[in-house]
Amino acid sequence: MINIPDIKAFKKLRNELTGGRDPNRRSVCVCGGSACIATGSLGLIELFKNEFKDHGIEDEIDILVTGCHGFCEKGPLVVIRPEGIFYPMVKKENVPDIVRETIIKGNAIESLLYTDPMTDEKIVYEHDVPFYKKQKRLVLGNNGLIDPMVIKDYISVGGYGAFANALDSMTPDKVIEMVIDSGLKGRGGGGFLTGLKWKLCKNAKGEIKNIVCNADEGDPGAYMDRSILEGNPHSVIEGMLIGGLAITASMGYIYVRTEYPLAIQRLKLAIEQAREFGLIGNNIFGTDYSFDIEIREGSGAFVCGEETSLMHSIEGLSPEPSQRPPFPTESGLWGNPTNINNVETWAVIPLIIGKGSKYFASIGTETSKGTKIFSLVGKINNSGLVEVPMGISLGEIINGIGGGIPDGKKFKAVQTGGPSGGCIPASLMDIPVDYEKLAEVGSIMGSGGMVVMDEDTCVVDIAKYFLTFTNDESCGKCTSCRDGSESMLNILTRISEGKGKPEDIDLLIELGEAITDASQCGLGQTLSNPVLSTIKYFREEYNAHILDKKCPAHVCKELVNYSIDSEKCIGCGVCLRNCSVGAITGNIKEAHFIDSDKCTKCGICREVCKFNAVLVE
Amino acid sequence: MANKENTKKSGSVMVVGGGIAGIQSSLDLAESGFKVYLLEESPAIGGTMAQLDKTFPTNDCAMCVISPKLVGAGRHLNIELITNAEVVGLSGEAGNFTVQVKKKPRYVDEDKCTGCGACTQNCPVVNVLQMAEEPDIQLSTESLLKVTPILDKYRGQKGNLMPILQQINQTFNYLPADVLTYISIELDVRLSDIYNIASFYNSFSLTPRGRHTIKICMGTTCYVKGGERLYNKVRDEFGIENGETSEDMRFTIESVACLGCCGLAPAIMVDDEVYGKVKVSNLMKILEKYK
Repeated sequence: MINIPDIKAFKKLRNELTGGRDPNRRSVCVCGGSACIATGSLGLIELFKNEFKDHGIEDEIDILVTGCHGFCEKGPLVVIRPEGIFYPMVKKENVPDIVRETIIKGNAIESLLYTDPMTDEKIVYEHDVPFYKKQKRLVLGNNGLIDPMVIKDYISVGGYGAFANALDSMTPDKVIEMVIDSGLKGRGGGGFLTGLKWKLCKNAKGEIKNIVCNADEGDPGAYMDRSILEGNPHSVIEGMLIGGLAITASMGYIYVRTEYPLAIQRLKLAIEQAREFGLIGNNIFGTDYSFDIEIREGSGAFVCGEETSLMHSIEGLSPEPSQRPPFPTESGLWGNPTNINNVETWAVIPLIIGKGSKYFASIGTETSKGTKIFSLVGKINNSGLVEVPMGISLGEIINGIGGGIPDGKKFKAVQTGGPSGGCIPASLMDIPVDYEKLAEVGSIMGSGGMVVMDEDTCVVDIAKYFLTFTNDESCGKCTSCRDGSESMLNILTRISEGKGKPEDIDLLIELGEAITDASQCGLGQTLSNPVLSTIKYFREEYNAHILDKKCPAHVCKELVNYSIDSEKCIGCGVCLRNCSVGAITGNIKEAHFIDSDKCTKCGICREVCKFNAVLVE
Repeated sequence: MANKENTKKSGSVMVVGGGIAGIQSSLDLAESGFKVYLLEESPAIGGTMAQLDKTFPTNDCAMCVISPKLVGAGRHLNIELITNAEVVGLSGEAGNFTVQVKKKPRYVDEDKCTGCGACTQNCPVVNVLQMAEEPDIQLSTESLLKVTPILDKYRGQKGNLMPILQQINQTFNYLPADVLTYISIELDVRLSDIYNIASFYNSFSLTPRGRHTIKICMGTTCYVKGGERLYNKVRDEFGIENGETSEDMRFTIESVACLGCCGLAPAIMVDDEVYGKVKVSNLMKILEKYK
């Protein structure tokens, strides 16, 4: 336990740590996010350390395992500071060269640099990479600078400063006022004004109040919360400390999904460190503010992201949603007033209190303030996490930051908001991204997932995919959701198998609207969005499945056939060896042939063929 | 002659079951002029709906809906209630059935009873607890050694059932039935409540699991980029479906909603290790090192 008797002492410590940081000191930042670890980033660290020793420079250079940099597609990422020389997809054998050329001599190695897929230009510095250049990284910015497992790193970039100020000189009402003035809306999907929710919770009757951080990021295709928890867990803790102060709560729970083991591990460590510094516990820095945080792990149920289900899960009850009102701000955990926000919302709070509500409100549009993190993934060149000001156009995100669609394919649609969202077609790429505009075109902001689809993606298949998901995750309480999703799924399956009837589309619309009206929680109310929005914008593709029995994107198995182009096939035999059902025959150096009776249309032959000789029609 | 007698339509109907559906059918039939015998197994009509607070999807008060019908059925001249009874035999054909009914004794004269409730309130044995027999469970010493520290750690805490189940799931690699019964007694939580939770979450398993768990991401991104093909490959290779375990206990496969590695789609996770940009052609190579 480090003895920090009062806020003054803490501020002094902060100044020392901030001042002790030499901005010009050379450091190597290796990304330690889940994606980069999966591609081997941790193996690089040891190599770098050994190289430093060999050159006798281990005292002059820091090596940092930082949080997620966001550009997950190109991992493992290595950035040499202070210049910010950026190396993507670093391999073990590159390490000696990087140390010799870049770290010692200061030269960038051309062959390792990032190549812009739009212009084919080599780019040296991180801040010049188009992926980063057009972003405004307020929340994610520190991810690449600090080691998430060292609390002093967070403090040295200004961390816990906002909390110290709030604790020192702000009343709870003042904090709430600042959050209201900033115009921050919940980043989890609902888009409710955060400050207002806090106020409701603070003014609710009840001795004990709780706050909850919803880290049950279940939307497939979104992972910004994971990245924040892994890359900068202290920002979430600081946000919760400020929230607890404002709402006069003394207990905070973080509900993390079990699929994120690294996030849980780093969060636990961060809480331990904060406790050591006296930031969590009884009478924080000698004031009468006491606050504690507990981690609760989920166990793999999508519906637990819904606030009432989540609280039931924490209470150890069956995690079914319950009717609102009463809202959690009046009667939440164990019947006490409870304020729930998601990870990203909590991580924004220190920024608002630290830089002021005016600063935050100056970014974004009239109704949606600040920046928002999106996970830009799918059929796109630069996939990863992007943080942009609200109001930026969809096209700017996809082409400007994302670098367009790979392999010269045509852009078809972007799916936002996960299973509750909808598909936005290429024709609407100019719309500004904010809560209202996305709702207007039949989708939602949601937690910020953006899955890009090209011409090879079938919208009927995607609608079917989401329905399979929601049908599986429906808790079963409301008949409309439980059985309605099943019926819609049956119709979609029928269509994708070429057995659709012309009246099926209208039936889907009618069913979808009925389910929305008759379900209790967000899962049921929104599950038909993916279907309704794809029907709205891609009705002719549904018609092609139903009337012509064709899948224009060649995805739906029952409607396609695999064959080999005898002119392109050189008879290498790779497809023959990989086919698990023995459907391919042919002699070496002669064109092969697929027996369509045996073919299960698994697509492996197409994947392994280097000559694009496998055709799908 | 006797035959003719038998084919005569009797003009009366028996409705079996005095729940909301039975009551409504009886009322409708009685209104259309049929004589209705409404048979109910329990001592009173009303069924499940009379026990509900609200009804789906309008949240209407259940009693407000059903009480007028209860009264209506009770005093309709065309409806005869036969409660506390069950059907034991049925003969005849459509239009002319003969039903054999077994009426259980009520020990109260139905003609004289006004339903004032005085006897219920004054019965001295009404509040005797009917205890369910407690299952006697003997855990093996080995299991007991594993379970006791977990229970001790969380005993008395609010909302402790989830963490306890998670730890048991982790320690045993699944939730053994005898352990669940044991904690139900120890924590004084109903076994049905425990099973409700144990069967709700994807990461709990009620059957033993393999040494390694292959989680195949079916997030939107992985799906768009061919995650389903990875799943099909594993399924065909080991002959097991989602959530099942291979016979040699080597692998359990699970398809999960999203691993949060969308930048590396399609992704899989074996135990705690994530593999990105996995192709069907190199999938088996990855799995080789897990024995």
